[in-house]
Amino acid sequence: MKKTILSVALLLTTGFLFAQKKTTTSAVINFDATTSIDALPKAENKTVIASLDTKTGKLAFEASVKSFSFSNPKIQEHFNNAGWMDSNQFPTASFTGKISNIDDVKFKKDGTYNVTVKGDLTIHGITNPVETTGSIMVNGKSLKTSADFSIKLADYKVNGSAVGAGKVSKEPNISVVAEF
Amino acid sequence: MLTTKINKKYKKWMIAIFVLLLTGGAVIWYLFTLKHDDTAGLKTDYTVKAMDFIKEFQKDLNGANSKYSEKIIVVNGVVSAIDIIDTTANIKMIDTANGAYIIFAFQKQHLNEAKQLKEGDEVSIKGSCSNGAFSNILETEYVTFKRCAINK
Repeated sequence: MKKTILSVALLLTTGFLFAQKKTTTSAVINFDATTSIDALPKAENKTVIASLDTKTGKLAFEASVKSFSFSNPKIQEHFNNAGWMDSNQFPTASFTGKISNIDDVKFKKDGTYNVTVKGDLTIHGITNPVETTGSIMVNGKSLKTSADFSIKLADYKVNGSAVGAGKVSKEPNISVVAEF
Repeated sequence: MLTTKINKKYKKWMIAIFVLLLTGGAVIWYLFTLKHDDTAGLKTDYTVKAMDFIKEFQKDLNGANSKYSEKIIVVNGVVSAIDIIDTTANIKMIDTANGAYIIFAFQKQHLNEAKQLKEGDEVSIKGSCSNGAFSNILETEYVTFKRCAINK
């Protein structure tokens, strides 16, 4: 009996110590759709939820669309309107995927590791496969993941008049940083 | 005589076009340079207690979003966690019973106020409520705020 209790306790402790899924509620996404004629469509969301499974490489993000903060309130209004992100109907944007070379990252050794991320990105209610490169910086117990990529708004059926008029980039840049 | 009439008409048109251009330019300049006001000075739409506020979203997510989204709200509660990362200072109030939480991202000019808070502090935070949602990652409800300041 004692042996059984000891074994269960050991299993639970081991599972706790080597918990692989790390989460944060303060990941940051920067969205930059500026063009040569308009420097305003640029926003930041500092309350993004993210998770990383260091064993399997599974990576996920969830961002509330209304949490993107623009410096200009009018642009923010347009961004959330039906012609753009239609945030009342599609309140969140999300990503679920995997780091394909997670075994290359030595989580017990400080350093910056280049990674490849593949997965599905859902924006405006439309899901598309994406692939990008990024990095994981290991510093003691903290991990900092980051990636920069661009998307085609047309792929997500975001095609408001400002996009057609060249005031909003058709391929905005997105940068994602999450510290665990 | 005819030349003078044409000149007068031409002059009126020129003035009208000039006034229109000036007005249009002023409107465009105004729209392009518009900035969010300091939240601390904005009129409060609602004042709520953190845990009651979370429960309202858990009970009726759509109803609570219709009521509170993009409104200026003062939330009174206890600081459960502080995330300070680079230029970010987020304050969280968590319902320990189920993990549901409110998260406040502070306005640039109020970042230092957030950095001075500690876990367990009773606080009153004023901000623009973005919305509430259910997180598939955390499997709980959450409500996000942007452009926050300490309510004094």
